[in-house]
Amino acid sequence: MSERHHVIVGMGITGNEAAITLRRREPQSRITIVTLASLLFYNRYDLPQVFRGKHDWREFLVHPPAFYDDNRITVRRNSRVANVDPLNKVMTLEHKEDIPYDTLLVATGGRGWIPEELAEFRPLMQGFGSFEQAITVARALPEGGGRVVMLGGDMIGLDLARTLIDTGHRVTLVAGEQTFWPHQVSAERRPAFVAALETMGVEVVEQDSVGGVAQIAQGAKGLPARKVVFRDGSELMADVVMPFYGIQPAIDFMGRTGVDVERGLLVNPELRTTDAAIWAAGDVCQIWSQEENRYRFYYGWRNVRAMGEVAAGNMTGGNDAFVADQDEKLEIDAEGRLVSPFWEYA
Amino acid sequence: MVYLEEKLKEVQDSGRLEYRSKALPTWCPGCGYFAMVDGVAHALNALGIPKENTVVVSGIGCSSRFPFFLDTFGMHTLHGRALPTATGVKVANEDLTVLAVGGDGDGFAIGCGHLPHVAKRNVDITYLLFDNGIYGLTKGQTSPTSAKGFKTPTSPYENPDQPLNPLLMMLSYGASWVGQSYAGQPDHLKEMIVKAMAHRGFSYLHILSPCVTFDKTHRTYGNLGMTVRPVPAGHDTTSQDAAMRLATGGDPPPIGVYYAVPRPTLGDSLDGLVVKAGGELPRRRGTARAAE
Amino acid sequence: MDATDIQILIVGSAGDGTIAAGNILRQALAEAGYKVISFDVYPPEIRGFGKCIARMRATIEQAYSLKQQSDVMLSLDDSHAIPHVAEVRDWGAVLYESKPVANAPQGHITGHIRPGQIPYGCAIREISEKATGANRSRNIVALGYLAGLYRLPREAFHAIIDRQFKKRGAEVASVNRKAFDEGYAAGAGAFKLDDVAFGPPKPNVVPGTVVEMINGNAAVVKGCLDAGIDCFFGYPITPATTIMERLATEMPRHGKRLVQTEDEISAISATIGAGFAGTRSATATSGPGLSLMQEMLGLGTMAEVPSVVFVSQRGGPSTGMPTKTEQSDLNSALFGGHGDAPRIVMAPTNVEGCYRCAGKAFEMAEAYQTPVIVLLDLYLSNRYETVAFGQKSPFEPDVNKRPRKQDLGAGYKRFALVEGGVSPRAVPGDAGGMHIVTGLEHNELGRPADSAEMHLAMCDKRLDKLKGALVHPDFTVAKRFGAMGKAAVGLLAWGSTFGECLEAMFQAEKEGIDCSAMKVVMLSPFPEEAVSAFMDDCAAVLVPELNHDGQFARLVQGTLGRKVVKLTRVPGVPMRVSDILGEIRRLAGRNLPQAAE
Repeated sequence: MSERHHVIVGMGITGNEAAITLRRREPQSRITIVTLASLLFYNRYDLPQVFRGKHDWREFLVHPPAFYDDNRITVRRNSRVANVDPLNKVMTLEHKEDIPYDTLLVATGGRGWIPEELAEFRPLMQGFGSFEQAITVARALPEGGGRVVMLGGDMIGLDLARTLIDTGHRVTLVAGEQTFWPHQVSAERRPAFVAALETMGVEVVEQDSVGGVAQIAQGAKGLPARKVVFRDGSELMADVVMPFYGIQPAIDFMGRTGVDVERGLLVNPELRTTDAAIWAAGDVCQIWSQEENRYRFYYGWRNVRAMGEVAAGNMTGGNDAFVADQDEKLEIDAEGRLVSPFWEYA
Repeated sequence: MVYLEEKLKEVQDSGRLEYRSKALPTWCPGCGYFAMVDGVAHALNALGIPKENTVVVSGIGCSSRFPFFLDTFGMHTLHGRALPTATGVKVANEDLTVLAVGGDGDGFAIGCGHLPHVAKRNVDITYLLFDNGIYGLTKGQTSPTSAKGFKTPTSPYENPDQPLNPLLMMLSYGASWVGQSYAGQPDHLKEMIVKAMAHRGFSYLHILSPCVTFDKTHRTYGNLGMTVRPVPAGHDTTSQDAAMRLATGGDPPPIGVYYAVPRPTLGDSLDGLVVKAGGELPRRRGTARAAE
Repeated sequence: MDATDIQILIVGSAGDGTIAAGNILRQALAEAGYKVISFDVYPPEIRGFGKCIARMRATIEQAYSLKQQSDVMLSLDDSHAIPHVAEVRDWGAVLYESKPVANAPQGHITGHIRPGQIPYGCAIREISEKATGANRSRNIVALGYLAGLYRLPREAFHAIIDRQFKKRGAEVASVNRKAFDEGYAAGAGAFKLDDVAFGPPKPNVVPGTVVEMINGNAAVVKGCLDAGIDCFFGYPITPATTIMERLATEMPRHGKRLVQTEDEISAISATIGAGFAGTRSATATSGPGLSLMQEMLGLGTMAEVPSVVFVSQRGGPSTGMPTKTEQSDLNSALFGGHGDAPRIVMAPTNVEGCYRCAGKAFEMAEAYQTPVIVLLDLYLSNRYETVAFGQKSPFEPDVNKRPRKQDLGAGYKRFALVEGGVSPRAVPGDAGGMHIVTGLEHNELGRPADSAEMHLAMCDKRLDKLKGALVHPDFTVAKRFGAMGKAAVGLLAWGSTFGECLEAMFQAEKEGIDCSAMKVVMLSPFPEEAVSAFMDDCAAVLVPELNHDGQFARLVQGTLGRKVVKLTRVPGVPMRVSDILGEIRRLAGRNLPQAAE
């Protein structure tokens, strides 16, 4: 047991929580985190702070570097998993290195989803999934107020919109189906929520009213950097165009493992996949829900952190089921502003 | 002593005395090395080389005391190092006439490693090798040219080694001038020293010079005087092959020019490098030289 | 960061162009206006896959040594680089191939980068193949990435690349330029997370000087040429070989002569032969060669013939560690031969010193008619520094003491016992100057003479005349740095280790320790007065040196009869500044009043 090698793919809140739990439960085993990031674990929910002048990434780190040395957690940064071979319990990194594991926890989370018709404009849009992207957006916005066009408008984007407005920027939301994702908002309640957004200072353009986005173009010289052209011919100028259409599980490398997949990795309530040595936690997995009789996603900071802990516990001999404890309701407060449990992460 | 007085008188008469120093040679009476000092003085005189333009370099040994007995520039260096030192002198100043002198121990034992290189480079110096087949200065030990079976204090039963064949070695190393002479025939020796010095390039003159004090068995004057023979008439001095056959011909040893071919000297080659590199050649006086 | 002080480390195998990349980088940094000190480590194997390391430190003012920790590491071969990852400081950067063909036995480098370091992966091979159609320019692509990441001026690199590859054709130069540019674009596009930042450089402001990025051996060559070297004789030996190689190119251009001899004995013999002939001649070797030269150097002393010997020390004894640095040939240089054979021995402490010592060695050999040994070591021979050279040679072309006409002729006393001991010297070609030099003890005329009186007189002469070297014009025999008055700890050092001593001194000063340092350049004759005065000021004197026995410490103690504290190390690499600093702290503590009880 002491020589066991636990490998965690992904260094978000889930993976990090899992690593800490593993170390607590098994002081001797080897723990490796493989991540695409160049940085150690930082709280992505803090990223809007870059608009408040917090630009030193070291201030975002949740643990100092020594924490990983002290806990003997090997962190493989800049590393992409190319393949997992469940038969031999070996995963291969894109740089052709084989890493054997005894247990594997997939905690890669999700990556921003972009509708097919906008895919070609990806280079002209800015994501907000990492520190680097956040800094890039912050640098792209002119001091003293820039303009951001937000497409879609999931809860991550709307959270950012709050900070941008607070810090003197102008946000125009091109609202559509994914607005408020992952909240399911009924057609009847939607106008009220949109109105709440406007109360909060977001300018809203309903996608349906302009026929959808036709094109995103480089701004002309002397004008803002980007131009969003709608199908009805109308245009929006912006310094930055950001897609917020919700996220999709990042599981490409799991293709050949044979574990069951729907949109995410399918896991039982104990967070194990259909392979006995592979577990999944966080935004990447769909967990069997007895009540709903389906595999479903659970989002939110508290949920994904809890998943990391549960998975790690079960990887080291535990047998606990994940229980969601985060309220999922979207509401409007007394001042007419939106309140979402997803925004509570202090 | 009679011998010495006679030689001094002869030198006086010849007008070559200006090349001789006032120092009295340290050699044993009857030693063939006296003839060599005389031979060199004769050659310098005959070739008209000013004494201040002459550097005689020696190593250690009986023969290496040689420079002290000439009134030229001289370097009495270390055992075996006459040739590399002489090379340095010549490379430094092409206007100088540079002679290296030494014995069989100096040249073919401790200094043997330098021989192929000075020969292949064709440094324009003359190497006079006084072969007495013995270490005379340290009182008669075995040398690299001592005969097998020879008894000395360091080989009290007998010398177990074959002697080297210096002439064959120098020929195979590519020396551009190789000859042999005999101290017992001073006139031949004089003539050969002149020829060797007149050669442009590395010239090796092997001089048989029996040790009158420590070797009473082998190449004594008695033996050699009767048996040396001239290089056969019609010998082709441009044929390395013929020269090597001559050098392996055994007793009696032939004396005369074995091999003589013109070849660019080290100085020529170094000047060539300067030209190749686009540098400017230094001005030289240009030493007068008799044609070969 | 207020002042630029960045150390970059490039690690790869011999086939990766590691040293070539380092060479371009340090030259480009110098071209951009930074001061650079740099030291490469390369394998003993001629070809193959031995480890190569190029290390350089770029600063605004010239640094004296390398730092213990690097700020940036570029890996061109993970298997060699992985053991050096730990050398990079926290928040520093590690640059590597992100798409290797195969991985190191220890795995990919990302498995070894410490949490505090910033990893930068670059598809070096892919970019090289795309840019040049081959992967041969990987080192240049990687260099471009590094330059792009730190926004180093692209033109400086272009200039150096053009200069470097010009001789292999314009095509090669342009291909490498392209490789560099592609790498640069990738680097500039990378998101910079480390805190390494190059501040604006300070351009060279000394008028009439040319700044060169040059290593110790090249500086020696420049010194030789500026001193008007006539002849050089040498036999290849690491780490001195590049002196001969460079001279072989340069000397014919100046109409001068170089001969590769069959061994070191021949080399020194010819050098002394050429010295006797009146020219400025030199040879260069390392410890084993110096051992072979000892007998002939004794003749040089005895015959009073000028010669210059550059000795670049390496790990000894015997064949030792040919590609590792050490300072263990001091005894050999000072006392190597038999008999009482004094000679001049000097050791520069930095690259500029190599130049000065080289040139001055010829002056002194001539002025005092003696062999002069200039002791370098592998670290100094191979380390690069930015040095500002004046356009005119600072060396005297002829300091010979020549005989007067009336002293020449039959009674010319080549070894006349004169005031100061330097007898007027005639050379071949001088009418009336004929004389014989000999290894035998001799009289004033140069004739063998071994009376007790003559031997004593000549021994005195050969020793006394060298004292002139202590007051030789325009030459610093010893110099003190740091606090000038009383000091708790004095660092007394020679050769390349002095750089580390200065660095340690600066750090000690920051810690509030009264620390002073003296470099001793002239080792024989020993500058007793200056060293003694320095020791008077220091409560404790520490002598750090790279040999096992403390050879310099023994010299100081033996000469002055005063105790010093030895700090000896033989790791084959430069001394760690932290080792020196540790000793300084210990000594300072021991000598503090409160600690005295």
